[in-house]
Amino acid sequence: MTGSLSPIVVTAVLVAGAVGAVARYALSRALPVRPGHLPGGILIVNVVGSGVAGALIGLAERAALDGDLRLILVTGFCGGLTTFSTWSVETIELVSGGRWRAAVLNVVVTLAVGLAAAAGMYLAFR
Amino acid sequence: MRAYLAVAVGGLIGTGLRLAFDLAFAPPAGAFPLETLVINLAGTFALGWLVGGLWTRPATPMWLKAGLGSGVLGSFTTLSAVMAAVVVLTSDGAFWVGAGYLLASVVGGIGLAALGLELGSHLAHRPMPHEVSDDGATL
Repeated sequence: MTGSLSPIVVTAVLVAGAVGAVARYALSRALPVRPGHLPGGILIVNVVGSGVAGALIGLAERAALDGDLRLILVTGFCGGLTTFSTWSVETIELVSGGRWRAAVLNVVVTLAVGLAAAAGMYLAFR
Repeated sequence: MRAYLAVAVGGLIGTGLRLAFDLAFAPPAGAFPLETLVINLAGTFALGWLVGGLWTRPATPMWLKAGLGSGVLGSFTTLSAVMAAVVVLTSDGAFWVGAGYLLASVVGGIGLAALGLELGSHLAHRPMPHEVSDDGATL
């Protein structure tokens, strides 16, 4: 990520990040976390965002996606859609309520399915 | 509606901060993605602190929590960049760099979330939240 970035590209990255954030917020409002259960909305956006990022990086590797567009979609949209902080904090909130099984599942399922989505899409689009 | 607007503005700010970090400290290809690790751990600690402290005050408005939590810190931190970096590092033959990065992210993130929640609620003289705050709507 070197070279000069035009103000238009920077603006587009920020707007794409905001769109991703609003989509994440809308889904977590639509799927409220029931006590002791997996935070499903965050799990879904994290897995979908990881898969989309894998596909886009695969496309970029064979020059089917230009650098600016990659920055807008991967750093902007996927970065805004997915979240690391919410995932970690919700896991600890589950632990502090003694919901160990949900906490461990939240970590294991997010990592396993997220990695599988990113790897599968990367290999499919590369 | 106000909460959605706050999340959108927060999303602009969080993404802008992450982009600035990425541009300033991007590692060369194949190297350990230290800048994303620092972003994720710092953002997680900050969110834990806020959720333990500010979130537990009854007077804190929903839109402020949504703007700071889901908006700024949710967009500042990213899981997709971690997953994609692990995949690319592995595919480029740097499996152990990817595995170390994943381990550092997960262990560090869990640890700093716990530390942030603990410190935030301790300083606010409130018990640590025992369920996912606001049914997950504000973080």
